[in-house]
Amino acid sequence: MQFQTRHFGTIEFDRDAVCEFPAGLPGFEDEREFVALEQPHTHPIVFLQSLKRTELCFITLPVQTIQPDYRLSISAEDLRLLDLPEDRQPEIGKQVLCLAIVAVAEGQPPTANLLAPVVINLQNRRAVQAILSDSGYSHRHPLLAGREEENVCSSCGGGPARRF
Amino acid sequence: MLIVRRRSGQAILIGDQVEIQVLEITPGRVKLGVMAPREISVLRAEVKLTREANLAAAQAVCPEKLAELSNRLRSAGSAQACTKPPDRATERPQGACDPS
Repeated sequence: MQFQTRHFGTIEFDRDAVCEFPAGLPGFEDEREFVALEQPHTHPIVFLQSLKRTELCFITLPVQTIQPDYRLSISAEDLRLLDLPEDRQPEIGKQVLCLAIVAVAEGQPPTANLLAPVVINLQNRRAVQAILSDSGYSHRHPLLAGREEENVCSSCGGGPARRF
Repeated sequence: MLIVRRRSGQAILIGDQVEIQVLEITPGRVKLGVMAPREISVLRAEVKLTREANLAAAQAVCPEKLAELSNRLRSAGSAQACTKPPDRATERPQGACDPS
């Protein structure tokens, strides 16, 4: 499949790489299909590109890169939407991909929404933006706060872009 | 802000069409029941916060700023971010996000 995007030009992907959001996202209820894209030179950022609006592309980060001990508490309703068992939380990285949407506003430090991560079932690509009401996480979690430049990792660069 | 003390089982009325009942009180948590006409949207406040955050996040970001963000994230890098398996994809998006 092909789709013309504003930010990436024409992208190509398999039908089974399309993430389906049965309920859309808050504020974007009509956006039901996205693909996740990664570029080597912007690693670890993951782009969530809409397949309806060419210009709509969310910048996201895997939650573990922000908070290694991040814990999910997805509601039963959202677990149903994801087609996952309601009696336990899915494992991040194994059963689900869990992405925090990042806001990068001019003149303000970047923040990530840890309160409402995008959760993608890796088995069937169904996805929701799950609001973790009781988690205590912030919808404006500061990124890079108090972090100093250290230990540049040389193995992160290189390689082609990744499709999930 | 109007502040009202209520016990379990009691209710407040907003206008003549909306009723909010206190159904259950446990330590640290209250269960509320809302009766309202269908056209009035009833949302948890977090949904509104998330909607606002999504709308703000959907604004276009200049490629330079993106490159700077990813550089700083990499520099600060967690072990997890660096030990991912090699890229397995086939195509490379082209165009605007290239920071060069």
